[in-house]
Order: sequence, then C-alpha cells, then structure tokens
Amino acid sequence: MSLATTSKTPLKSRDYKSKVPVVWCPGCGHHGVLKAIYDALAAAEVDPSKLACISGIGCSSRTPYFINSYKMHTLHGRAGAVATGTQLARPDLTVMVMGGDGDGFSIGGGHMPHMARKNVDMTYVLFDNGIYGLTKGQYSPTSRREMKSYTTPYGGPDDPLNPLLYMLTYGATYVAQGFAGKPGICAELIKGGLEHKGFSYVHIFSQCPSFNTLDTNDFYRSRIEMVPPDHDVTDLGSAMALARMGHYGSAPMGLLYKEERATLDERMQMIIDGTGGHAGYDKNMIINELRP
Amino acid sequence: MEKKDLIIRIAGQGGEGVISIGDFIAAACARAGQEVTTYKTFPAEIKGGYAMYQVRTSLDRIFNPGDAFDVLCAFNGEAFTKNQHLLVPGTAVVYDYPGGDFEPEIPPGVYPYPIPMSRMAGELKASRSKNMVALGALSHLFNINEETLIEVLSKKFRSKGQEVLEFNLTAFTKGKALAQELVKNDPWRMADPVAPKDVIILSGNSAIGLGAVLGGLQFFSAYPITPATEIAKFVAKHIPKVSGVLIQAEDEIASISQILGASYGGKRAMTATSGPGLALMSEMLGMATMSETPVLVVDVQRGGPATGLPTKHEQSDLFLAVHGSHGDAPRIVLSVEDVNDCIHMTIDALNLAERYQCPVILLSDGSLAFSTQTVAAPDLDTIPIIDRKRWDGEGEFNRYVITPDGISPMADPGTPGAMHVATGLEHGPSGAPNQSAANHEAMHAKRFGKLKTVVDVFKPVEVDGAGEADMGIIAWGSTIGVVREAVARLRDEGFRVKGFYPKLIHPMPVSQYEDFAKTCRSILVPEVNYQGQLSYLIRAETTLSPISFTICGGSPFTPIQIMHKVKEIVSCP
Repeated sequence: MSLATTSKTPLKSRDYKSKVPVVWCPGCGHHGVLKAIYDALAAAEVDPSKLACISGIGCSSRTPYFINSYKMHTLHGRAGAVATGTQLARPDLTVMVMGGDGDGFSIGGGHMPHMARKNVDMTYVLFDNGIYGLTKGQYSPTSRREMKSYTTPYGGPDDPLNPLLYMLTYGATYVAQGFAGKPGICAELIKGGLEHKGFSYVHIFSQCPSFNTLDTNDFYRSRIEMVPPDHDVTDLGSAMALARMGHYGSAPMGLLYKEERATLDERMQMIIDGTGGHAGYDKNMIINELRP
Repeated sequence: MEKKDLIIRIAGQGGEGVISIGDFIAAACARAGQEVTTYKTFPAEIKGGYAMYQVRTSLDRIFNPGDAFDVLCAFNGEAFTKNQHLLVPGTAVVYDYPGGDFEPEIPPGVYPYPIPMSRMAGELKASRSKNMVALGALSHLFNINEETLIEVLSKKFRSKGQEVLEFNLTAFTKGKALAQELVKNDPWRMADPVAPKDVIILSGNSAIGLGAVLGGLQFFSAYPITPATEIAKFVAKHIPKVSGVLIQAEDEIASISQILGASYGGKRAMTATSGPGLALMSEMLGMATMSETPVLVVDVQRGGPATGLPTKHEQSDLFLAVHGSHGDAPRIVLSVEDVNDCIHMTIDALNLAERYQCPVILLSDGSLAFSTQTVAAPDLDTIPIIDRKRWDGEGEFNRYVITPDGISPMADPGTPGAMHVATGLEHGPSGAPNQSAANHEAMHAKRFGKLKTVVDVFKPVEVDGAGEADMGIIAWGSTIGVVREAVARLRDEGFRVKGFYPKLIHPMPVSQYEDFAKTCRSILVPEVNYQGQLSYLIRAETTLSPISFTICGGSPFTPIQIMHKVKEIVSCP
C-alpha cells in the first residue's frame, strides 16, 4: 500500500472522480458506496497515479471507470486473482478491488479464501445488493431464500452464505461491514482498510431498486446495528459471533476484526532476501549448477 | 550406415531407482564429452508400476531417443516381458538373475548377462542398492566411463554424507565384480571419453525454467499439473535470486489471472500448465488479447481429452492453443523441438509477448518434458531481451491509440499522467467502452494486424535438404527430431526427401509452407494426435493438401516409423 507523501496540496474527494459518467440506476446504493470510496481515498491521501483499482463483471464492477486511477476491468469473478498479481508484482501500489456479491462469492468464490489466507495487501470493497443486477435480476449467493427472481419464480431453493463469517474463517486481517445509506461510516471503514497492511475486506449492503424489491433501503436500515463500542476487534471469536448474529437477525455495522500479520509480499521479500537475491545477480551461477 | 551411437534402456518398477541410474549414466556420458538424449516413461501412480529410462549417447549430435535399444537392463519380470519383443538378434540384455522374480527365456541371437542384482542387494542388507549393482555391471559391460560415473555419484551423494556415498560405491563395485565374472561377446560399447564440451545437461521442463529466468522473467504463477510442474520447481528455486516472484495459485484460472495482473503492473510474467489447465485459462487468454496484455503460457501437452493419459506423450493441444478462447482472439503460438529450444524459445516467447502485447503460447510435450539432453551452455551476452514499448510522456496518453504497426505504448501504474483502464470490454483508443460497429472492426483490425509482422520477425522455417524431393515432411514439436533422423537415413538409402520444421505455428508463415511444397511431389505431416491437427490447419490456411500421418499411443514417433511410412508412399529408388 502506498500513501502519498509527496503531494503538496492534499487531494480532495473530487480529485478522485474520473470524467466517465456514472451509469447506475437512480436510487442505486452504489452511488453512496462510490462517494464513500472517493472520501476514503482522499482521507487516506492515496496518490491516484499509484492506485490500481481492479474489478470483474457486474454493476459494481464498473466502479473503477469512475475513479481517477490506474485500473483494470477484467473478467467475471477474476478481479481478486488479477489484483493479487498486480499487488505482488508492484507492492509499492495501493491496490483496490471493487465488485459484487455474485462476482465475489459465486463465480469468484474460489479466489476469496486465498486472498484472505495469504494476506494479500489490498482493499476489497464488496457491494452486496443480493441480486445479479446487470443480467436483470437473478438470485445471488447472498439472496434471501424467499426471494422470487428471474430464475426463482417460486422462491429460491438455497440459503444465502455469510460473507463476513466466510472472510473471518479464511483469515482476512481486516473485516468490516457498512451500508450504502451511511456513506460516512462506509468511508471510515474503507479508509481503515486502505491504511491496514494486509487483506482488508469491506462488505457494504447496497440496495438494488431495479431488481431486488425484497432488500429495500428500509429493510437494510432496519437491520443494521452498530458494532457494540466494547467489541474487541482483535478477538476473532467475538468477531465471528457478531458475524453469525448478522446472518440471522440484525447486521453488525462497523469494524469487526483487525489483525497484524505479515503480508504475502513481505513473505515473498523474505524469500528473496533469504537467497541473497537482487536484480544484478550473476545468472551464470544458475547455469553452472546445470553442468554435468 | 555405421552405427555411432549406443542406446541403453533400463526398465523396472517405479521406486527401484531406474530413473536415478539413468540420470547418472546421462551425466557421466556428458562429462565424457558425449552428446546425450534420454527418454523416460513412468507410471501415473506414485509407487510401483512400470518405469523406463532410455539413454542414447553419441559423439555426434543426437536428435531423438532412437528406434529401440541396443542394451536392455531388466530389473524384474514385468520389465523383461514388456520389452521382450524388442530383443532382436544382436541386442544385449542384463537382467536380475539368479535371485530375481523371473527366469527369462532369452530369444535366439540375444546376448544374455545375468546379474544377481536383488541377491547382491540382499547381501548388502539394502534392497535400495539394487540399482547401483546394476549400474556397476552396466559400466563394466558397456564401457560407460567409470571415472566420470564416480565423479557424478560423488557429486550426487556428497550432500548426503560420506557414509551414503561409500555405501553406493560399494554396491557399484560389487555389480562391476559380478559382470567381470561373465564373458562379454556382444559388440556394444560406449565411445571412449573425449574432451568434454561446454555443456549443461537438463530436462525440457528445467530448460523452460532456465529460459524464463535468463529471459528476464519477474513473475511466475504456478498450479501443479503433470507433466508441467517441474518448470515451476526450477523457477521457484531460482527466480528469488533475481528478485523475482513465484506464487502458487489456487487454480489455473487464478494463475493466468495473476500473470495478467503482474504484467499490467509492468513485469514480465508467465505460467506453465498442461492441456486441462490451458482449457481453464482460455477465457483469460481472450482477456489478454482484448486488453493487449503481454503474457506467456507454456503448455506441456499430455494425452487428452479430460484427464486422459496424464503422464503420456501427445501433441493434441494445437487447436486449443491456436483458437482456444471465445470471440476472435489472436495470439502467437510457438512449439519447441528439443531441450535447446526449451531454453531459447522461452526467451523468444517472452520477448514476443512484450513486443506484440499479446498472449504467447509455447507448446512443449510430455516426452520432451522429461527428456534430459546435453546442450551448449547459454552465453548470457547473446541473450536478447526485448521490452514492451512504453509511453514517452509526450502529449495525451491513449492506451489503445491506433498506430501504423498496431502497437500502442503502455504505461506502468505509477507513471504520472498516464492513468488508464486496461479492459476486457471493447474500447476506443482511450480505453473507454465503445461498442460501435466501426470501432469494434477497427480494434479487431488493430489486434490482428499487429501480428502480421511476426512471421518476418521470427526466424525463417528451417528447411532440411535442397532441390526437388519426392517427399517433403512437415513436422512440429519434438517430432522434428525424429524426422531429422528419418530424413537423413532415407537419404542414405537413396530417397529424395526433405524436411520442413516450423517453430512459429501461429500466425502461420504461409508463403514459406507454399514455397517448400513447390519443391516436393507430396507432403507428409506426421504428428502425435488423432485428428492430424497441424494437417488440418495447413489445409485451412494454405493451398497444400498434405498426407496426414498420425499416431496417438502415448509415445513419440520413432525414426523407423517415419521411414516406413515414406517408403509406403514413395516407390523405391
């Protein structure tokens, strides 16, 4: 992660806004999340030219286009894996992933555990609207079972997964949850993720007014409950208990868990240092090992 | 034609040390100034099953592991039975007797050398030393240079302690003594040592790893798959020394995704896999094409489809390599002939990816993966490194600006003033999404058009032979080495034959194919797959109508198979 230290005048939120017009529907929660991202980037003083925003496919995966930064708009489900490569190749950059619940937990679900356990130094903002919006409303891995959708005209057959518990279980070192209707809190949580060295997972409920008529803004508002002030964010057990609670009733908002652990790039650097590695290494030494 | 080479095949059960002594013989021969090519097969199981290692050595250059063996060393009854049909008059067989699990019937005209390997290993109270007993016997019987063998053994076992070395040398000496009791009357002996050449000895897989490191690779993402995994093993050991990174990903989709991400970050990046992995990567290959991101994917082909024949040789991923993705997704496909190519064409492949900002697929195959060969030690001063074209900082940066050669400058993240999106959506010059008909057509023309010069930039296809021929043989991959020998032997017999050995498979150097065909009355394309995949592509892209000659039994061609086929088609001179 690279926080700007050289810029003379601090950047404002609007400096992170690109010229690409935002394409989301009116009333979409993603507008609030985007504002929170701009504010968090400004607050964390991230240098836009050293920021890489990487996404997959979905409504929320359009987010990088709206941010003044380096960015990749990749394939459905692959943002996290692509971002892992960028981060490891360029640990000097600030790497962010933006994407939705289907992109992250359905098609991209195989990558989530590995970013978390390897502690790849990046901030993953997951916009959870409980629906596939870009394909006009199919149920997603975070949809409630009773949801009637395009592909579930009689209601869904599956129970939703619990993203917070999932990320805690696999070893994410920063786990937080927000709600798009509270962009100020979201900005704080994303800023915390940007400043955290390690894999930061920020889950944000973001209503889809076009296709998810079940999880309305009012529903989310009635459900969220601030993380208790006495919650110990270093206690994995308590964080998991909060995450479990959220699955069945109210949803905790705030920072659930934070752990300091060596990142993947730091461990890679230890391997390099262990071999005495450097860019000017005499490759004849490698050739000589292959003589008969 | 006088036979200048010697081929020894060692066969036994997986875990008996067959592969180890094969490696020792190969290294000892290399130290004695010989050229070496080996071929091995091993079971898909971890323990047990049939394992075979064939070493071919000669003072002259060798192009393939040979037709069959001169000497068989059979560790058990199964190994003997499997090779019995190849024990033709004049061959020699060294076998575990008495005290082994079999009492073979020696075919007429075959020279038998019974060596009680198991019994001696038992006397030494170490069944694991059976292979060293065999090695001692082979060394004495066939003039495998003892001095260089002992050097190799010392180097190998030194790290395991003096005791281990002494023990192995004892078993070796016992084997030699057993052989000394026998009367040798066969003609097979290795050439006496000459001054060693400046060579290294390594497998095709290690050579791809070496080429990668020498070619400036900075990022490798791996996922285990037979027969490609050894490439990652080599890179994992050496890339940290040059400040590079190897990560093991959760699957092949993640591997190719990670190398795209690393390449976007400005680093030279690659992965290596086999057919099933390449199939999983095909969507992201299209992303590399669309976003014009340089990446190298090595595919060490194996028998398919599905899990197929995971440890066996096949050349059946050509269609997948050339066309595997959705949409019109151009890329460069190269294929390697031998271990030397594995080094130098991996460097070429990295350079081509950077130069043309596209995915490059390098095809190797199962037999080459594990074939150990002697090759000239690479000279670092002659290794070309071509980097991607980067933005010069002048004017406005447009990542996908249309240029005369179709190549648009890139900018690494961190470059002020060049922030842009690399995207899989169809886009205009700036990278902004653009779905218009005119733009999509223009961008396709750019992505395909930039590859038009590849056939001029890459070295011309090697033509083996001059003048008119009755038969022209077009071969790719490790089949080339077999065809080289077949062509030479056919010529010695008076046949008018020529070879054509493309290494750049796609884009296809069409005019070179057609020029070659003009000098040949008919064209034969031998390849190890069922469909005749290169033949198919040749018919699709050129005016040639080659005769397809395919086998797919899990093994490479032998020179004699090619010779027979040519003789079937071309009448005797």
